Amino acid sequence: MTPLATLMTNDHRACDHALASAEKHVLQRNWPAARLALGRFADMLSAHFDAEEQTLFPRFEAATGMTGGPTAVMRAEHAEMRILLDNLQAAIDGQDGDEFAGEAETLLIMIQQHNMKEENILYPICDARLAEQAGELVTLLAEQLGQRAATEITS
Amino acid sequence: MSSPGAGLGYDATPPFSAPLRFFLSAPLFSAAAGGLLLADPGLLASRWTPGALAIVHLLALGFLLQVMLGALLQILPVVAGASFRAPLRVAGLTHAGLCAGSLALVLGFLTGIPALLQAGGGLLGITLAGFLIAAANAIRHAPGTAAPGQTPRDLRLALGGLLVAAMLGLALTLALTRGWGLPIDFVQQVNLHAGWAMLGWAGILLAATSWVVVPMFHITPAYPVRLTRWWAPLALALLIIWNVGTVSGAPAFALVTGLLLLALAAVFPLATLRQQARTRRSQPDAAFGAFRLAMIALLAGLTALIPATLTDQTHWHVLAGILLLHGGFGGATRAMLYKIVPFLAWLHLTQAGIKAPNVRKLMPEAQARAQLRLHALTLLSLIVAMFIPLAGHLAGALLFVESLWLWWNLASVARIWHKQQAARSAPAAV
Repeated sequence: MTPLATLMTNDHRACDHALASAEKHVLQRNWPAARLALGRFADMLSAHFDAEEQTLFPRFEAATGMTGGPTAVMRAEHAEMRILLDNLQAAIDGQDGDEFAGEAETLLIMIQQHNMKEENILYPICDARLAEQAGELVTLLAEQLGQRAATEITS
Repeated sequence: MSSPGAGLGYDATPPFSAPLRFFLSAPLFSAAAGGLLLADPGLLASRWTPGALAIVHLLALGFLLQVMLGALLQILPVVAGASFRAPLRVAGLTHAGLCAGSLALVLGFLTGIPALLQAGGGLLGITLAGFLIAAANAIRHAPGTAAPGQTPRDLRLALGGLLVAAMLGLALTLALTRGWGLPIDFVQQVNLHAGWAMLGWAGILLAATSWVVVPMFHITPAYPVRLTRWWAPLALALLIIWNVGTVSGAPAFALVTGLLLLALAAVFPLATLRQQARTRRSQPDAAFGAFRLAMIALLAGLTALIPATLTDQTHWHVLAGILLLHGGFGGATRAMLYKIVPFLAWLHLTQAGIKAPNVRKLMPEAQARAQLRLHALTLLSLIVAMFIPLAGHLAGALLFVESLWLWWNLASVARIWHKQQAARSAPAAV
């Protein structure tokens, strides 16, 4: 994989781990820990969405001239996932484990199918179309994703 | 027309009713297999009894092929960017042809009426040819991205496997009804047909799908790249070599390649079990356990094929058939249905701007778990029934109930989806 695809794919996996951690604490009905874990997951997911929406997608759109194409679909899915994230927060606020499990399962599959499309289709197109600015773009995205992604890619 | 974004949008995916019709009719064929066994438990005595042939094809065509073609309508656009031009028409014609063809073929086996066998074989041949042409057309117009996964390529290989399996099946129908046999031994031809259907088509399709959905649904790391790059092409190459050995009358060569093929096939379930052991989920769900059991059943089925290859004792073939068809492919398919159907219902409602219940409300975990436990019990009872014929009644009854329960669970999701849609459109109609 190219540095761009590796960076973004690693960040997908890191988000998976963070959601799994929140799920584990909810299963144990450890609500303070679950709240903390969900907060961390929400921060990571938001950072990922922001990096894509503010940096990667505009570069893609500028390079391809496509503003209503794949990036529009990805943005719409981000919006749906943000709603599911709010539902998770509400379930934790209400200390409702079953509700959390159902919303988490929905979000998890939504995230996975979204990631699959990005990793199999969008990132390869980005790699092809944004090759000449890849170095600078990867550095910028890594900064936006935070230190965790930057360290994971080098480890 | 293709674009770089093809496959990324929901407009590229078919309406829910396209795959759903396959998923809802499949359990009914499986239930019919249960009914047959309940009526005549002695049919497990040999792979050659008309009843055994009927059951095998109810499970292989009526259940597995139904689910697999329905799933392909959904998967090809999303995974490979290959959208069918008229998904509803393809779904409608394929579904009707598959249901009618499977039914006619099975009735042909049971009654021995040549016209029914010919009608079944002919209908299935035409239906599959139509589906394969539509799929090839969709793939041809897919965008050529350098996607990192091997799933699109392996889906194409599996479709090639389906074509060969279908042609061999059609040739067998003609051999049975008109005596127009290929110049090879009939039993060998049946073995080749089964080999292409089970490995060339179903095995490669399951693997191609698993490369994507096992990490996705069970939150595991990705499969090793070397495995996904080589497994399917190697399996197909070895399958062809085994065919050549079988057809050319070189029994020792065919035996060695056959055993190598079994060993290579076993790599997939072994690798999947290893992936599942590395899941990042804190509490695996019912579908996770069902998929694991399916992989164990595949391994056991492949193991049973070793004595089946080395001896003439037919019960090893029957045991392998039960383990592979019902335990392995049947179990994996059920596990996937429990993930795919509620999610698609949720997705289609959400995309229509309707507030959808979450997937666990659409398909309560307890319901899925209980049904999947009965599936496991059915598998056990089928194996017991091989040794205690009277237990065949129980195995048949369990298969019947388990299949209808699966249908009920899936239909419940469809009912909620339909009700929510109707509730949304009702005020607008006033």
